[in-house]
Amino acid sequence: MRKIAAVILALALIASAGAQDKVIKIGTLFPMTGPVATAGQRCQAAVETIVDIINGVYPDLDLPIAKKAGLLDGYRIELVKADHQGKPDVAKSEAERLYGQEGVFAVIGSYNSSASKPASAVAERLQKIFMCGASSSAALTERDLKYFFRLAPTDRIEAIEFVHWFDELNKSKKAGIKTVGVIYENTEFGKHAADEAKAHAQKAGYKVVADVPFTVGATNLNSEIQKLKAANPDALFGAVLGADYSLMVRTMKQFKWKPKIAINFCSGYQDQKINEQLGKDGWGFMGSAGYTPEFGSRFMKGVAPVEAYFMKKVGVPFDSNSIQEAVAMYVLALAIEKAGTLDTEKVAEVLRTATFDSPLSMGGKVKFESPGGQNIMARSVISQLQDGAYKTVFPYEYKDAAPIYPIPKW
Amino acid sequence: MDYKKLLSKFGWPLLLVALAALPLAGLVGPGFSSHVLITVLLTAAMAQAWNLIGGYGGQVSFGHSVFFGIGAYGAAFAVCVGKTSPWPGMIVGAVLAAVTAVIVSYPCFKLKGHYFAIATFAVVEIFNRVFMIWDWVGGAVGLDYTILEDGWRNFTWSVDKRGYYLGALVLFALVFTITRVIERSRFGYYLRAVREGQETAESLGVNSTGVKLTAMALSAFLAALCGAFFAQYNFRVDPPMVMSLDMSMKFVLVAILGGIGTFWGPLLGALVLIPLQEYSRAYLAKLGSGVDLIIFGLIIILMMVYQPGGILGILTGSRKRQARLRARLAAEGGAK
Amino acid sequence: MSLFFQVILDGLWAGLLYGLIAAGLSLIWGVMDVLNFAHGDFLMVGMYVSFFLGFLFKADPLVSWVASGIFLFLFGMLTYKLVISRILGKAMAPLLATFGLSMMVKNLVLNRFSPNFRILESTILEGRSFMVGDVIVPLPQFVTSLFALAVLGLLYWMLTRTRFGWAVQATALDGEAARLMGVNTEKIFLLVFGIGGACVGIAGGLLPSYLATHPDVGTLFSLIAFMIVAMGGFGSVPGALVAAVMVGLIESLAGFYIGPVYKYIAVFGIYLVVILIRPKGLFGW
Repeated sequence: MRKIAAVILALALIASAGAQDKVIKIGTLFPMTGPVATAGQRCQAAVETIVDIINGVYPDLDLPIAKKAGLLDGYRIELVKADHQGKPDVAKSEAERLYGQEGVFAVIGSYNSSASKPASAVAERLQKIFMCGASSSAALTERDLKYFFRLAPTDRIEAIEFVHWFDELNKSKKAGIKTVGVIYENTEFGKHAADEAKAHAQKAGYKVVADVPFTVGATNLNSEIQKLKAANPDALFGAVLGADYSLMVRTMKQFKWKPKIAINFCSGYQDQKINEQLGKDGWGFMGSAGYTPEFGSRFMKGVAPVEAYFMKKVGVPFDSNSIQEAVAMYVLALAIEKAGTLDTEKVAEVLRTATFDSPLSMGGKVKFESPGGQNIMARSVISQLQDGAYKTVFPYEYKDAAPIYPIPKW
Repeated sequence: MDYKKLLSKFGWPLLLVALAALPLAGLVGPGFSSHVLITVLLTAAMAQAWNLIGGYGGQVSFGHSVFFGIGAYGAAFAVCVGKTSPWPGMIVGAVLAAVTAVIVSYPCFKLKGHYFAIATFAVVEIFNRVFMIWDWVGGAVGLDYTILEDGWRNFTWSVDKRGYYLGALVLFALVFTITRVIERSRFGYYLRAVREGQETAESLGVNSTGVKLTAMALSAFLAALCGAFFAQYNFRVDPPMVMSLDMSMKFVLVAILGGIGTFWGPLLGALVLIPLQEYSRAYLAKLGSGVDLIIFGLIIILMMVYQPGGILGILTGSRKRQARLRARLAAEGGAK
Repeated sequence: MSLFFQVILDGLWAGLLYGLIAAGLSLIWGVMDVLNFAHGDFLMVGMYVSFFLGFLFKADPLVSWVASGIFLFLFGMLTYKLVISRILGKAMAPLLATFGLSMMVKNLVLNRFSPNFRILESTILEGRSFMVGDVIVPLPQFVTSLFALAVLGLLYWMLTRTRFGWAVQATALDGEAARLMGVNTEKIFLLVFGIGGACVGIAGGLLPSYLATHPDVGTLFSLIAFMIVAMGGFGSVPGALVAAVMVGLIESLAGFYIGPVYKYIAVFGIYLVVILIRPKGLFGW
């Protein structure tokens, strides 16, 4: 198998070196259609934004890749875009097509953990680099892979942080949080996040009184909210994406119930557009954030100018997921520069060992552990929607505002 | 030259020989075109398995993804939970699928026309949701394969597709040969007789329930084998991947668009639709999201309106055949 | 105890909504034996019409349902004219053709309007409710239920008390005979498909009061509608209403007392139970 991979690698090198232009092909693999297409399209746009910056010269941006055109010795990056439609089998064959047919140097993807798994397995077998920005399942980096690199913090890291936050609230504000409930979409993402939340809450001594999975795209969430209301947990974990998030908030409003604190993993809460539309109803909810524009304006000043280009493409600022895909492309570019070559092995070795400065990352640095590939400097903060803005409430060194606790009743 | 006679006698074995020769000629590499080829063979096998009960048997079922899924889970369970070779899992899955098919179909065969179709939707949805909450088989998270050693024992290969190709070819040959044999056997005549008119067939002494159940069980068994292959090919299984209405529609659409109730229909359907699906997704992405599906939908509409006999109907084109196929489709629906 | 009534009433509103959505499907099926696979996508289109009127002109769903209804009336007639009329009577062909239509419509909307979820920021009904004893009655669902009863009542009245309705029933019972009696069955089919579309369009028009609009929103509604019309029985619009309320109640009761994740298992399960006891549905002929 190594022989075949070596042949493919050699061919790819020959192809890329002997081509008319000096081109580095990079593949993107996201759900461009299907139920989470919004997120997928934003992730792809994030990668495109960085590629534009790499290929051009942007003297106003304070990033090493912006100062000259292209990478290494004038190589342009060419993106080959693929759509996995939210299906793991399509992700697998598209990954194969990208590495094989298209001869890409690396793939950036794939948002859905269920798609990232088979796609990155393909990469590992071909000994090609796979950069994963925002898939959150902890299992992805527990496979001891050598060519897989994941930027975002995992559901496990976030669950631990959430529970830590409850402890903190109990200590400093005498919050009296004793019971927790979980509401989650019954999918790979939701179930995984919920399992982590329950496990760590129980470990820290909280009692799990409600476990409420629901079907994505449900026609109503009446039973779900009624169950939560009946159990009335002090704190609620949510792993709810998109449209279901707004339905959940609205249904809570209808049944006049709110927990004392509602904290969310991923997407629905972080989606700027959804929170604009929910308006006042969404205020008070908390969630993890690897980035918010408010946080960025204070602690990640390097983001704003890049974000301007991103907003031209999609009309919304970065969110925790899309920004990680941008970082994925950025770090890959840095690694190629540092290795000084397009030899996959050498670039992968750089990725495994170096620490990167990343103005687009919370905490400013990226370092992957190897094998496995988790970015151990991945940070997220807990934010709360107050008056329509995401205010960071924890950890304290990033605090933007005091948390409003308990969240005001309807 | 009487093409029909020649095709009928030598077409099938010749095709198999040609297909078997492809890897020997070095035409099966690790690339995308091999993936498309393998998918064509697999889909043709799936559609033909459906065709046994849906086309020849006249019972249009939208529930085949359940059997497909049981087969897939059988293989995946053996590999991920049992930590052993998938082959026993495949067989167990196929048998379970056949048993499930009989248990579920027996009461459902009482239903006519659209009631039956809707019942099969309900069955798929129920199985899908049950598997989503059944933690023993992974629930919503599904079952993921670790990186296994290449080879026939594990029936996985990481780069080389020739093993998969051979597996798909054998599956394809199996399903089509069984169909060929049935088509020309007494059982096949009984099956078609039941399709054309159940009461009449019964009055002539045909055990219609037994015939339908046997066809259904066989159809499910074969569909499950296809599902097992799918799991091995994709290194993963979860409910939405295999036990979904979308997957069920694949069985139905490929068979009907190819030519329902005919031997070559499923292959023709797969030969046209799969490359269309794969290449349009890969290369039409720049036109914006969903364009390939818009085209696919349009093709389905046009086919149904202009040539319900499917691609085979287009190819043979004879008026008499069209009229016969129309009558068959009308009978398919059953009484109100 | 009041919790029980809460669950029951929640189920009632959900069921009546399903009934409104299923009414059109039942009518079309009863008259021309066509199961419109794209029914959920008609609902989705109705929601988009209402959403855009709200977004661009600040029209409230309480007003824009009229537009949605009219739009889907025309859309339904167009579907009949271009597609269904050519394959009427050919058993599975209309079902598959409407499946293709569903795929087309859904992805056209996805392509043109992006997959973003759209919510109307402030509608008249959204978030409001009133109390009946200890039970909360959410206003959007309550109003939608009233509409459902009104529309279904109107439909029933039209079918049984007007000449047009008699012509429809005659066509449904025996198209050949109706034609011989001078009924223009072609026009009946055209109008019926339009009316069926209008019914689901009205439902779609009202939904943005509390539900987010996006290309996939109609999928589950579609499946449930199929269950309901088959459970109600071929040719029976009142049957569809009864079945719809049953489904809503089962969904709510199962969701609360067994577990939310069993909601839809119970719904599809109850279909199988009913249909096996009565293979032609509750009131079918």
